[in-house]
Amino acid sequence: MSNRDQPLVLVVGIGNPDRGDDGVGPAIARQLRVRVPSEARVLERSGDPLALIDDWDGIPSVIVVDAVAPIGEPGRIHRFDLTEGSVRIAFTPRSTHAFGVAETVELARSLGRLPGDLIVYLVEGERFTTGAPLSPAVAKAVDEVAELIIAELPRISSDHEAATGASSHA
Amino acid sequence: MASRTIKVDYIARVEGESSLQLHVRNGAVDAVRLSIFEPPRFFEALLRGRGFGEVLDIVARICGICPIAYQMSGVHAIEDALGIKVDAPIHALRRLLYCGEWIESHALHIVMLHAPDFLGYPDAIAMARDHRQAVERALALKKTGNELLRLLGGREIHPINARIGGFYRTPSRAELAPVAESLKRARHQAIETLRWTAGFPFPEFVRDYEFVALRHPDEYPMNSGRIVSSGGLDTAAADFDCEFLERQVPHSTALHSSLKERGAYLVGPMARYALNRDRLPAEIRALADEIGLEPVCRNPFRSILVRGVEVVYACDEALRLIADYEPPPRPFVPSEPRAGIGHACTEAPRGILYHRYRLDAEGTIIEARLVPPTAQNQGVIEEDVREVATAGLDLDEEALKARCEQSIRNHDPCISCAAHFLKLQVHRT
Repeated sequence: MSNRDQPLVLVVGIGNPDRGDDGVGPAIARQLRVRVPSEARVLERSGDPLALIDDWDGIPSVIVVDAVAPIGEPGRIHRFDLTEGSVRIAFTPRSTHAFGVAETVELARSLGRLPGDLIVYLVEGERFTTGAPLSPAVAKAVDEVAELIIAELPRISSDHEAATGASSHA
Repeated sequence: MASRTIKVDYIARVEGESSLQLHVRNGAVDAVRLSIFEPPRFFEALLRGRGFGEVLDIVARICGICPIAYQMSGVHAIEDALGIKVDAPIHALRRLLYCGEWIESHALHIVMLHAPDFLGYPDAIAMARDHRQAVERALALKKTGNELLRLLGGREIHPINARIGGFYRTPSRAELAPVAESLKRARHQAIETLRWTAGFPFPEFVRDYEFVALRHPDEYPMNSGRIVSSGGLDTAAADFDCEFLERQVPHSTALHSSLKERGAYLVGPMARYALNRDRLPAEIRALADEIGLEPVCRNPFRSILVRGVEVVYACDEALRLIADYEPPPRPFVPSEPRAGIGHACTEAPRGILYHRYRLDAEGTIIEARLVPPTAQNQGVIEEDVREVATAGLDLDEEALKARCEQSIRNHDPCISCAAHFLKLQVHRT
C-alpha cells in the first residue's frame, strides 16, 4: 500500500550548474519539472549525496541523472538499472572523505534502503570549467535524456500497478 | 638480514591523495615517509590581491568537510586586522555553526571512516550490512549537523552566509526550533554511538605527545582562546610564528610544522580534550568516565572515543545556544578597510587552524597564511606509524599495512586541506 503523500517516481538531477557540464543533471531536472505527471517529483541536488537516501525514502521508483567524466564521447548517454546490479566502486583517493553517488547507492543497498526500482542516466561531460555553460554536445543530450525519462514513466507506472494491483483490489 | 619495503599506494578513508612508505632495514624501521602528493592548491597566493570581503567565500572552498573552520579562522583574523568587535549574539551564532560542523565531521569519521578498522571491514558499505543501526545513526547525526550548516551557513557545502562582522542573514527563533528537535534526537544518537565505539578492541599503544589546543577561560574551545600545550606553551594567536615553525620536506607537498623548542606536536580532539576536560559540563565528563575514557588519553586508537564525547557535547552546546538565542539587533557589524595584520586560531574538528592576513589601506589582501591541522599533525603521524610498525614487524605484509593505515586514520587527516595526502610502501633492505 503506497503512502498518498509520496510520489510514485522521483527524478533527481545531480550536479553543480556553475561548473560547466556538471550542470547537466540539474538542467534535465528543470526541463522535466514542468513536464512530468503529478505522481512524479523532480529534485535538483548539489550538496551531500548521502542526503539521497532520505530523498528517496518510501518512493518506489527513482531515476538519478548525473554527469560523468569524459571517457571518449561528450554527450554520450548511459543508462543503468542499479536495482539488482551493484555499482563498481573505484575508491579514488580524491573522494574518500566525501561519499559520492556510487558509494551512496551501495551504502543504501547495504542498509536495505534502496528504492525498488533505481535507474541511473549518466551523460559524458566535456568540460567542467567554473562558470561555463553546458558544452554543445552535452546541451543536446539534455533534451534526449528528458525524452527518454518521459518515455520511461508509463512503464514505471504500469510496473507499479502490476506490483500493487492485487493488494489494492483485495 | 634482507631489507623490506612496505608500500601503501593510496591510503583509503582519508580525504586527499597521499601514500606511506616504510623502510625496514635489518629488522628495524629505518624511515617513515608520509608523502602528500596532492598538488599544491595555492590558496594563499589566490587570496593575494582580493578584497577582505571575499576571503570567507574563497577559504570555504578549501575543504568540503570543514569549511566552517576556514570561515571562522578567516573571519576572526580579518576582524583582528580591522579592529572589529562583534556583538555577543554573533559570537553565539558562530559557535552554533561550529557545533554543526563538529557533529557532521566527527560523525562521518567515527562511523564511516574509522569504525571499519576496529571491526574488520574494508569500508562502511560492507560494515553497514552487519551494523545497520550504527550507520543509520551516523547518517542521522550528519544530517543534523548539515541542518545547522544549511540554516546558519546558507548551504551545507561551501557555506555562503558568514561575512566579516557577522552574517548576511541571521535566523529567527522559529527557524531554529525544528533544528533543536533534530538535535535532541541527535544527542541520543551520539550517546548510542559513543557507547557502541567504547566496546571496540583497542590496541595497547601509548605515545607521549605534546598536546596543543586552544584554551578559553570559560568555554570548551571553538572560536577563541589562547594557544596552550601540555609542555607549558601559553601564547596568543598573534605570536604563532614565535613558537611554531613550518618547513618543507622533500616527500610532501604539505609543510611540516613543529614547535621551535620541542619538535612534533599533536592537535585535534585528543589535545583539546586533554587540555580542556575541565571546561566540559559535569554531565559530559560523567559520560566520558562511564565509557572508560581516561582524562588524558594518549592512545591515538582511542581518539574515536574523544570524538564521540565531543559530538555529544556539540549537541548539548547547540541546544543550549538555541535555547538562549535572541536574534541580534543587527546581522553584522559594519567594517571599514584599513591597513593592518590580523591573526586568528580556531578549533577545526581536526585541531587548531591558524590564519594570518596582511591588508593594505584599501583592505586588499597583501599576504595570506593558512596553517591547517593536518599539516601540523604530519610529524606526529609519521612517529605514530614508526612505533606501530616497529611493534608489528612480525606481522605479515597485509596485517602490517592495515595497522599502519589505521594509525594514520586515528588522526582523521584531511590531506586536501594539508596540501597540500594515502599509498603505504614498506621498503625492507
